[in-house]
Amino acid sequence: MSNFRSKIFMKNNIKVQRAIHNLTQEELANKIGVSRQTVNAIEADKYLPSLGLAFKIVRLFKLKVEEVFFYEEDKYEKDN
Amino acid sequence: MTNKKYRQLRVAVAVFVGTMVGLAISRDSYLLAGAGVLTGMVFMALVRSKAKITVDEREATVRAQAAQLTYAIFAPTIGIGAFLLYLFSSAQLAVVQQRYYYLESLGMVLAYITLFLIALYSISYHFLNRKYGGGGLDE
Repeated sequence: MSNFRSKIFMKNNIKVQRAIHNLTQEELANKIGVSRQTVNAIEADKYLPSLGLAFKIVRLFKLKVEEVFFYEEDKYEKDN
Repeated sequence: MTNKKYRQLRVAVAVFVGTMVGLAISRDSYLLAGAGVLTGMVFMALVRSKAKITVDEREATVRAQAAQLTYAIFAPTIGIGAFLLYLFSSAQLAVVQQRYYYLESLGMVLAYITLFLIALYSISYHFLNRKYGGGGLDE
């Protein structure tokens, strides 16, 4: 029986979208009502935003959630 | 007022209160310490009400996890400390009982603080669990 322990990593392309829309982290942070540190943490995949904040971000870029946020399933450890 | 300005003001008030309390200790004046702390509290309350400071969600998460970690470390540490103090003071050693006569009282105080902390956590958990939809009847 193959038994993998898997972990889901959420990824995003906010940095790319920010570059396309010519926005700095500070400007994006002000537009969505969070701190610059929060934007930085989200871009670096260190903090997972709430659903509300994710919607705010994608609406600002006029995209769908799945076009900005996506998950990668990483099978990193095999039990047997 | 921006968050940055608010943080700078908070540091300035903390320095002011620290200075006042330091002065009060050096002059042995409780009144000065009380006045300093009260002034700081009133000033911060006024600034907070004017500034409409919002805590962003990452900071709220950090605060929640820090509180959780603090509880997870503090409660067992203080509980075990209280138990050890009680054991130490109840040992039938005359020397220990004469020199460290206050240990039993200290152990009792720590034990009550631990109980208070656990009770407070349980009550907070109960109310927050209800607030966020837990404990409802199944359909």
